[in-house]
Amino acid sequence: MEGHQRNLYLYERFNARVLGVSRDDVTTLRYWAKGLDLTFPLLSNVTSFLGVYFQIQPDGKPIFGRRTVIIDKSGVIRYVRDGSPEYKDILLFLKRLSQEGGKK
Amino acid sequence: MRGKRWMMLSVLWVLVSLSGCATTGTVEKPYRVSPQGTVIWEDEFEFSPPPLGWKLLRPETGGDINFGFMRDDPGGFPSMTSFAYDEEPFGCSTQYEGREKEFFKRFLFNAILEFKMLEKKKVQVVGGEGLQVDVEGKDPIKGEKVRARVIFGKRGDRIIGFYITQWRPIDGTYDMSAFDDFDKFVKSFKFLKKSFYETL
Repeated sequence: MEGHQRNLYLYERFNARVLGVSRDDVTTLRYWAKGLDLTFPLLSNVTSFLGVYFQIQPDGKPIFGRRTVIIDKSGVIRYVRDGSPEYKDILLFLKRLSQEGGKK
Repeated sequence: MRGKRWMMLSVLWVLVSLSGCATTGTVEKPYRVSPQGTVIWEDEFEFSPPPLGWKLLRPETGGDINFGFMRDDPGGFPSMTSFAYDEEPFGCSTQYEGREKEFFKRFLFNAILEFKMLEKKKVQVVGGEGLQVDVEGKDPIKGEKVRARVIFGKRGDRIIGFYITQWRPIDGTYDMSAFDDFDKFVKSFKFLKKSFYETL
């Protein structure tokens, strides 16, 4: 998440916005964001429907798996990677997406 | 004991020597030595290596810390010194004052030390103005202490960091010659090309 925060100015350049989603409650997320000085929105999804929707809700576990998803402005999922975010890969993908959007 | 030594680096390191004899298999060296004796690292950084006795550290699997050096010091546990170049030091701010505060929230956080600021001053680093912060942390329960110097500099819009940590038993004496070696390394450090972020 700190990597996303560092890259916010680049996401801005590529007309992208970042959201974090977690099963933690709002109070926990607020303290966590404060601790890491995060300024982008974190969504609390304690009922886990987003995890189910994105297929990252392991059976019987109270947490989501880690997955990075990039959704384009039409609502189409264009990028999915599991595990820790590959920040450079994400930036290159967003740059390509931004250039693609500029051509249309 | 081993885990403690790596706590700052938090990634798996492979120890190799600049002579390259400790590398294994067909792994290519990420550096070459210039005719002037400086080290060219991945054609991206150039620096003067520290004197004999320092061993090169590099992460085995990515991570933010690019590389560093370490040495075992005389004296009881945990006497050792390490320093590193870090492309993404803890924190997010692109201003030194903000970054310093963010950084020290997490620097050596596993050790749970209370840091005391020894000195803070502006310095010249990688061709621009930077910020140097010297701190000391003590753990009277474990009977250990650490002295550290962190130098923040700029690469494009982003802040990079150099830091040295020297661990000692609580009644041990610091060896400031290691800090001189670190300072020479930092002063010699140059970027040979633009960073990934500057080329986006």
